Amino acid sequence: MPVGGMWGSDLVAIRPEFFQVMKSPFDDTETVCVKALVPDYAIVHVQEADIYGNCRILGPSYQDALMARAAKKTIVTTERIVGSYRMQEEPKLTAIPHFLVEAVVELPGGAKPGICYPEYQAVDWDKHKAYQKAVKADEVQKYADMMLEGRL
Amino acid sequence: MEYGKPEMMAVAIIRQIEDGDIVFHGLASSTPMVAMKAAKALGKEFTYLTLSDGVDHDWTRPPYVASTLTENTYTGSVATFGLDEIFDLYCSGKGDIAFLSCLQMDKEGRIAMSYLGGDYERPKLRGPGGAGSATLTPVTKKTTIWKTTHDKKTFIEHVDFATTAPPLDKEMTVITPLCIFKKPVGEKYLKVAYIFPYTTLEEVKENTGWEIDQTEVPVMEPPTAEELAAIKKVDPNNILHFEFK
Repeated sequence: MPVGGMWGSDLVAIRPEFFQVMKSPFDDTETVCVKALVPDYAIVHVQEADIYGNCRILGPSYQDALMARAAKKTIVTTERIVGSYRMQEEPKLTAIPHFLVEAVVELPGGAKPGICYPEYQAVDWDKHKAYQKAVKADEVQKYADMMLEGRL
Repeated sequence: MEYGKPEMMAVAIIRQIEDGDIVFHGLASSTPMVAMKAAKALGKEFTYLTLSDGVDHDWTRPPYVASTLTENTYTGSVATFGLDEIFDLYCSGKGDIAFLSCLQMDKEGRIAMSYLGGDYERPKLRGPGGAGSATLTPVTKKTTIWKTTHDKKTFIEHVDFATTAPPLDKEMTVITPLCIFKKPVGEKYLKVAYIFPYTTLEEVKENTGWEIDQTEVPVMEPPTAEELAAIKKVDPNNILHFEFK
């Protein structure tokens, strides 16, 4: 896909599998093209989802909706399952519609030790460090088990 | 009132913003965050975009962590505008300033943000990348790099792998604890535009990895009492000093 910017970056030459330069068919200007990324999965945590996968993101949404559109399959974890009436009240607030979603998991606190606005608004640094340690020690499964059991 | 390098840098950032500008800073950007809140407190009329999606958030709420990805840069916003939308906006030429940083920079304003040492595949230090700076620098009217260290490891003669480089037809400004470099429109190399009141051109030369042949440069006006008061007002938790510890 053609994009703006990127001229002058050495990234273009070192990653030809992702970046190519072509002439615009409209005015012959040089344009950088970026290969579309298609992840197998996007895993997105939201504040509210219904059982069909319609998601409301009640704070900064970053590029979550974009990732859900790009991925082959999207798995949603949610602070809570809500009735679809919530979406019907204000359809514009549905950031990710159900047809993009493969599975919904109700998982309160699922973004910890990170942030989920406005439920928990500060990073839990002690637990974040424990996670980093677990990654280095190849003990992520153990960390996840302890977290899910509330033993962290 | 007393001031140090953090306050001088913040004031230089504030003075970079003009009324009517659309301004964005990236993540982990406590220095421009505090400066931009202070610019709002001083009554500058500009649009403040952040990575937290917020447009013109409530700047009167003091930051409590140095992260720029929290609700602090979202709560009280008048609209949301995501990073993908910000990229599109800037690529259509409507962005005035992006406050960005770097790992290293050379005399042409070429920026290393991808890695330090080794090579691209096997770096000694893998940087945060530079989707942001690589996309924004070529299209932003006044790209402004802020860097809280000024030494010969940071400002080097030649960057091997440039994550981005300023285009010839745009200006670039670089704000350090010692001085302001500028690459004027149509020129290739950075020049010292101002030194700060507590330093000398000699000290700047000693701490810069390329040869500076200028013999005289203007000294920037020190922060005014009003500017320092605005910084204090928006930043009671002294987040501004985070990058200088």
